[in-house]
Amino acid sequence: MRRALVAAGLACAALVVLDVLLPRLLNPYYLTIASRIGIAIIAAVSLQLVNGFTGQFSIGHAGFMAIGAYGSAAASVYLGAGLLDGLAGVLPAPLARALYFPLPLLVGGLAAAAAGLLVGIPTLRLRGDYLAIATLGFGEIIRIGILNLDAVGGARGFSLASPAYPAIDLRFEGLGGIYAVVVLSVLAIARLVHAGGGLAFRAVGEDEIAAESIGVGATRVKVEAFVVSSFFAGVAGALFALSEGYIHTNSFGFTRSFEIVVFVVLGGLGSLSGAIVAAAALTAAPELLRGLGEWRMILYSLLLIATMWLRPQGLLGRRELSLPRWRWRSLRLGARRAPARAQ
Amino acid sequence: MLAVPLLELSNLAVRFGGLTAVAGLDLAVEAGSLAALIGPNGAGKTTAFNAITGVYAPSGGSVRFLGREIGGARPFAIARLGIARTFQNIRLFRGLTVLENVVAALAGAERSGVRDLLRGRAWREREDSARARAVFLLERLGLERLADARANALAYGEQRRLEIARALATGPKLLLLDEPAAGMNPAEKHALRELVRRLRDEFRLTIVLIDHDVQFVMNLCERVAVLDHGEKIADGRPEAVRRDPKVIEAYLGSEAESA
Repeated sequence: MRRALVAAGLACAALVVLDVLLPRLLNPYYLTIASRIGIAIIAAVSLQLVNGFTGQFSIGHAGFMAIGAYGSAAASVYLGAGLLDGLAGVLPAPLARALYFPLPLLVGGLAAAAAGLLVGIPTLRLRGDYLAIATLGFGEIIRIGILNLDAVGGARGFSLASPAYPAIDLRFEGLGGIYAVVVLSVLAIARLVHAGGGLAFRAVGEDEIAAESIGVGATRVKVEAFVVSSFFAGVAGALFALSEGYIHTNSFGFTRSFEIVVFVVLGGLGSLSGAIVAAAALTAAPELLRGLGEWRMILYSLLLIATMWLRPQGLLGRRELSLPRWRWRSLRLGARRAPARAQ
Repeated sequence: MLAVPLLELSNLAVRFGGLTAVAGLDLAVEAGSLAALIGPNGAGKTTAFNAITGVYAPSGGSVRFLGREIGGARPFAIARLGIARTFQNIRLFRGLTVLENVVAALAGAERSGVRDLLRGRAWREREDSARARAVFLLERLGLERLADARANALAYGEQRRLEIARALATGPKLLLLDEPAAGMNPAEKHALRELVRRLRDEFRLTIVLIDHDVQFVMNLCERVAVLDHGEKIADGRPEAVRRDPKVIEAYLGSEAESA
């Protein structure tokens, strides 16, 4: 109970800092980077569930982000604008927006999760390289499919502006909201993999045959991981669309997919905090190195090569960063050994 | 009326292309018994285990467990029915802790997953009782002080025992041990025999174990079936089996034959 209060207090403080203080201190450029870091974190952590914990190798994550982005953008433009207009008519504007914005995010997430289910069932029978190629192909199919969809702008890209309600701002701004979604997503995935039931993901990732021998249906677990992962990739895509206000399929090419894979591998396969650190660092790095002009991408690549050379297991390996009092509730015995002894 | 055997193989066959690994194996295992499947290397012992546990689908014949046909079912479904096993080449979840290895097996049957997101009281109770049960099992196998160690940091014998603990966590009626004594010295083998006996009594198990050594199963099992080249050549009490000329030939003559 006290923990919950402390957490709520911290969350409120963070919201104030992010929404009120930071916009006064930083220029919009840094704020954009900060929001992209948040989006990268969700993408990385969701892919970690599949690649790091469940031991599959998917490299089509940008495809699910695209579905989330376009799904939420289309829903906003074609349905959301009217809804938001109606809500704003009966409720005070900030409350109406706070109530409304979870909806397009959810639409994006659910659309991506549905796609994940559809793609996951046939492809998760494949292993290793084959799964990688299938997911890569899927990502490209999505991107090119959207590119040819006129309802969402096709090659012109898609703006988050409703012709029917030109006065309604459909964009989701403010770091506070974005980071609230980031925290919830990371927490959800952390809870999934660090619970007793979530051991099924890691068991399948370690050894499928052994997992089946203890009653874990490996195919089902893999599909589950894939669907959950797609859902959060979709949420990340939706956040991207809503915060940028304009999307184009170029943002969801395979370079984006690879980027997310790099976050996961560099952070350490099987480490959520590693993925978070890597996603934040690698999203910020190209921007921080911008002063170096065209040398920055070379430096960025060298940075990657050096890391893989010096730490092939990734920055954190499988370990998690944790403050002593705020550990994941994990399966450590530690002080809890006493009752078991009493038996 | 005779009781239905716990496990009944009839005319079980496993073929890989032109190679017949198990040919027409008949075997009935009574509930509560301790039986052994022995035979020279390559006799088809592990293949028979794999066919029972669903790793391979039988090419012919039937596998009945508790009177129910399970041939061709998926491994996880068979595990949930109450058949647990260990593997010849140990298959632990190497990156998980010892405790997590066992808890994974306890949770294996009930898929919680997404429902765990809201950590209510039911979740916490389940988690606590799983942990307590896992610790109990580890204690029975003398591994409790290693509970927080990574599985791959364990010594060989400890890994074998952890595999047994993990198998027990599924709450099996039938436990299949694939060469539990492999790589053990005589003292360790002796301890293993004691352990197997103790587990059978304590957990009311039926145990079938594989070994290639008649000697090891001699004072342990009530019943020994001998496989050679995929066929059962003897089946009965260990003393009788040891004197069986066909068994002696299989063991002593096998090298000459294959040369």
